[in-house]
Amino acid sequence: MTSSRLPNGGQIERAKSVGFTFDGRAYSGHPGDTLASALLANGVTLFGRSFKYHRPRGLLAAGSDEPNALVTIISGDVREPNVRATELEIFDGLAVQSQNRFPSLEHDLMAVNQLAGSLLSAGFYYKTFMGPAIGPLKSTRFWMFCERFIRRAAGLGKAGIAADPDRYERMNAFCDVLVVGSGPAGLIAAEAAAATGARVIIAEERPVAGGSLLASGEIIDGRNPAVWAREKAEALANLPNVRFLTRTSVWGYYDGNVLTAVQRVSDHKPNRTKGQPRQRHWVIRAGKTILATGAFERPIVFPGNDCPGVMLADAVRRFAVEYGVAAGKNVAFFTNNDSAYDAARTLSLAGIAVTTIVDVRPDVSGACRDIANILGAELLLGSAVTGTHAGKSLSAITVQHFNMTTGRISGAPREIKTDCLGVSGGWSPVIHLASQAGGKPEWDEDLQAFLAPEPNQNWVVTGSAAGYMDTISVLSDAATKGSAKSRLVLPSVEAPMLDSSPAPVFEIEPAGKSQKAFVDFQHDVTASDIRLAYREGFHSVEHLKRYTTLGMATDQGKTSNVPGLAIMADIRGISIPDAGTTRFRAPFTPVSMGAIAGERYGDLRPHRLTPMHDWHISNGAKTYEAGLWHRPMIYGSHGETIEQAYTREARAVREGVGIVDVSTLGKIDIQGPDAAEFLDRVYTNMFSTLPVGKARYGLMLREDGIVFDDGTTWRLGETQFLMTTTTANAGPVMQHLEYYLDCVWPELRVHLTSVTDVWAGAAISGPKSRSVLETCVTGTKVDNTALPFMGIVYGRIADIPVMICRLSFSGELAYEVYSGAGHGTRIWEALIAAGKQFDIVPYGLEALGTLRIEKGHVTGAEIDGRTTAHDLHLGWMLSKKKTYIGSAMINRPGLKDEHRLSLVGLISLDNQSINGGSHIVSDKTPREPADSFGHVTAACYSPALGKYIALALVKHGTSMIGKRAFATDLLRDKHGAVEIVSHHMFDKDGSRMHG
Amino acid sequence: MIIKCPYCGPRDVIEFTYQGDATRKRPDPSSTDQNLWNAYIYDRSNPAKSHREFWLHTGGCRQHLVVTRDMSTHSISSVGFARDSKHAGDQ
Amino acid sequence: MVDLQSPLGVTFIPGDHGNAAGGVGITLHERTNISLIQVTAWNNTIPTVLTAIGSATGVIVQNKPGHGRVAGEKSVFGFAPGRFMVTGATPDLEQRLRAAISTDLGTIVALTHGRTVIRISGSRVEWVLAKLFALDFSEHAFPVGTGRATLHHDIHTLIQRIDENSFDLYVFRSFARSFWLTLGHAAEEVGYRVE
Repeated sequence: MTSSRLPNGGQIERAKSVGFTFDGRAYSGHPGDTLASALLANGVTLFGRSFKYHRPRGLLAAGSDEPNALVTIISGDVREPNVRATELEIFDGLAVQSQNRFPSLEHDLMAVNQLAGSLLSAGFYYKTFMGPAIGPLKSTRFWMFCERFIRRAAGLGKAGIAADPDRYERMNAFCDVLVVGSGPAGLIAAEAAAATGARVIIAEERPVAGGSLLASGEIIDGRNPAVWAREKAEALANLPNVRFLTRTSVWGYYDGNVLTAVQRVSDHKPNRTKGQPRQRHWVIRAGKTILATGAFERPIVFPGNDCPGVMLADAVRRFAVEYGVAAGKNVAFFTNNDSAYDAARTLSLAGIAVTTIVDVRPDVSGACRDIANILGAELLLGSAVTGTHAGKSLSAITVQHFNMTTGRISGAPREIKTDCLGVSGGWSPVIHLASQAGGKPEWDEDLQAFLAPEPNQNWVVTGSAAGYMDTISVLSDAATKGSAKSRLVLPSVEAPMLDSSPAPVFEIEPAGKSQKAFVDFQHDVTASDIRLAYREGFHSVEHLKRYTTLGMATDQGKTSNVPGLAIMADIRGISIPDAGTTRFRAPFTPVSMGAIAGERYGDLRPHRLTPMHDWHISNGAKTYEAGLWHRPMIYGSHGETIEQAYTREARAVREGVGIVDVSTLGKIDIQGPDAAEFLDRVYTNMFSTLPVGKARYGLMLREDGIVFDDGTTWRLGETQFLMTTTTANAGPVMQHLEYYLDCVWPELRVHLTSVTDVWAGAAISGPKSRSVLETCVTGTKVDNTALPFMGIVYGRIADIPVMICRLSFSGELAYEVYSGAGHGTRIWEALIAAGKQFDIVPYGLEALGTLRIEKGHVTGAEIDGRTTAHDLHLGWMLSKKKTYIGSAMINRPGLKDEHRLSLVGLISLDNQSINGGSHIVSDKTPREPADSFGHVTAACYSPALGKYIALALVKHGTSMIGKRAFATDLLRDKHGAVEIVSHHMFDKDGSRMHG
Repeated sequence: MIIKCPYCGPRDVIEFTYQGDATRKRPDPSSTDQNLWNAYIYDRSNPAKSHREFWLHTGGCRQHLVVTRDMSTHSISSVGFARDSKHAGDQ
Repeated sequence: MVDLQSPLGVTFIPGDHGNAAGGVGITLHERTNISLIQVTAWNNTIPTVLTAIGSATGVIVQNKPGHGRVAGEKSVFGFAPGRFMVTGATPDLEQRLRAAISTDLGTIVALTHGRTVIRISGSRVEWVLAKLFALDFSEHAFPVGTGRATLHHDIHTLIQRIDENSFDLYVFRSFARSFWLTLGHAAEEVGYRVE
């Protein structure tokens, strides 16, 4: 292949070269090249195969609007698909693959899809989904049958399965003014805003500032516009109140002037410095947003318009001026407006021959004619391109007479040799962000384009994004939008007098059979697909979009929305604004999932550790995550199974003494003169009668009468209580209490503080637990008189103050020993040391669960947001002497219904474990679907009973006691006979814990 | 969305927890009128216009706020402490 | 009184970390041997409580949202209506405050064991903190002495600005190690020193 690099020009570092591979073949380019410009310079014109038809495709655009040239970056096992070659900066070692081809880009077997073109037309998926009404492939079965073939044949790049090893970060920013874009409008608006002293952030999606100035043939302040832009950007970046972010795409606009952006920090570098992220995700809260996002040129739809070599006019210019690459040796243009003449002029300045200009307009301005004359290009007015000829890329175009008023083609086709056709169908201001922010775009007749709506947040649009298409008016608009009081002296501009307002021509449609004319290149939607959609009744733009998938590819129709809409409007005989437009959605350009996830995964996810965590780990604890907490599950000794370990631990508690870390229990400090009154209203039972130095078990309902949470609350003083909640409900209970104090009873003088983390808690349980305390506690007695059931004493262990409450969750004689969290490990170790002579055993959550299942104590598995106090046999806790949250609703018929599920115990009759979540059925053998009359909430092996047991919620629970049923788990293929028993399966009268 | 907390200043919505309709009024606790309680607990309107809501500034000062917000545009016209509106549900 | 065990454990590694070859952008330090006392006034007692805090600590702050002051090891800042964090190195801080503030004036909760205070300082402090918190850390928005309550990764945190380039971060003890790792991760880019 021959080089297309021009001998000079371009904003690349020609002295240095960069090596990279494309489909395994080595190429070289220069720093400053994109993959697109470097490959084009190497003579590569074929960049990918199209979505459905596998048609060969080249470059259409030169920036973020590129629909065709999507590639996959390969880095070891990691693949990043669907990257636009026009934005990908090359670096040494970059490896890239083309997409959607098999076995290779040049020889693609799937191109046979082109022959099946009519089958893959609009609505293909819908028709296939439906399938025939009868027969073996009826309904969606046909789809299932076809799917595997279609999935392989049609599509974009493949995602990798290797974990993404890269680092991503989030960044928060605040500014008075955010300027999106740093073309002529963005630079001047930012300068004007910065001059007022405002904090300004400028976000530019490209590596350098300048926007359209980078490829302009104009002269600004007597200088090359790219140089002018660079100097202006440098001066701005040096201001203390300006932050200039390059390679940063603002992709979302949210309520409250919050915008999101992705900065490609090191995507363009072969190596990263330590700690440097690949991408940084910015969330920017802006006082005011200036949208200086420019405009996208749009193509004209004509037969054969997807042939490699047919490009946007501006893209041809950009490759030449910015990268010093000739997209063709003899370039032709096809246009409906003046801007292609400026592109032709600039191209010629870069040393590329322009042979022909085809213009749909019957006449053009003197300035346009002058340009054609000077270039020596043939000017074909009132004409249109009606076909293309190509091998691997464009070799010639067919031109015919075209009547702009009637849209009719006439006359003999004339073939014109050219290897590159620059097309300009006018310009679409980039209003994506404004549209995301909530406004409905407004049609501008002059520009034949949608403009941003009236702002509904604090934003302004400036420059070509606001419809100003010549540099002079862009600059003066930007200065005013940057600051109403701007006194900037604007630079002089030397430019030809051209008018970018296009003639309203969007499509060239020859009468007879012709080549396919593409509207949406990325999703392979043709003009005839739109006509088909119309014929099949999909007229509204929303239906059109979904039926044809027009504008629904990764480029969100940047180049295709307006032409597609114009074609539908034309078919329906209505105006374009009457046909409507769709709203743009975030993201403006695709954003990697990693950038959004930031650092919130893996080891960096937040987690909570108890004060004794390190002790647990170094003493063999296997932990699991309970919410955010890491808690010991078992302390496994060598060779034990989980069941063996928890059985050993639970047995030790029943027979001797065990110790468990209960620091995770939610703890809320409740203080104030009205604290007792508050608790009376919050709990179903009475707390104002609780003496200081005692604890009480409490039950909370929701307002609707359903059980919310349970726990013990300790009265530490006349006006001070310590409430404990279940671990999982600590946050919700706090919010619940805060809600009532703030919104319902603001007259109560009560303060709440989360003190979960203040206290380390160790529960020691078992018949020998008192002996352990007697060995190590000083400053207080712990006998039954000094420390009765539910009593609280203060003492010291290892000379550290502790608070001890006699509570039992296990059903054994048990105590909870609380100390400051910073002393937690010392107290724990002192208790272990004191318990050594009693063979104290640390136990984990599995044993804790086993002990409570044996006792029939409820936890979150039973307090599941559906159960009432009666369902859980806690009706005795519902005070009749007072009202409380939920008291008004507990007697509703639905909550008293005799058919409700209520808590029972289950004992396995076949000595098999019972699965949590099993259904309770009466069928002896598994049956699907089964008539379930309950479910298992928790199950374990009970060392105390020597049986597999469970707790369950069962219809008519109490009256079922003594009956036989089956616990069935069809998912895990388990079905076994059980006996329904009382939920108090062990020590029903509670003599052990009161002893 | 940004909510301007009267204590903490403007903060991202992620710091707040939605706590429901601020226009309903809790019946007298001793009331046994099931319809009244039913309406309080279950009936909610979702007007496509300005609406009063409770938001808890969970990730800040932990105060409940009464936020007047247009449900169709998300624009917020006023924010105050729930405690300051004597009977938050009355207004 | 025995020293409190740090929740940071093995993750506290003194020395330079991350991209520190060309100097460190920030320094991290766990403040120890300090008392953290939360004082909450009733709606109508805020000025009286502020006076009482002043007499007990010598640090006087105004009744304005987030207002605070730093005096050596001592500091006071508001982070919710009527609610103040009082920090000091004197072991009798809690007693002095209890003596000055009765239940009629407000309530006192000792949070010494429940919160971990990390001092972050250095020239890149605003940059690193901006990765973790959605707060404007510029000095005009967050003046020296003032406090803020906010979130990191959905978890409540209190922040006080100590001086131009230093902040104290008050995090829940149980989250402290996780937060410390996240903070170190965020600081790798600019290089950091653990003291």
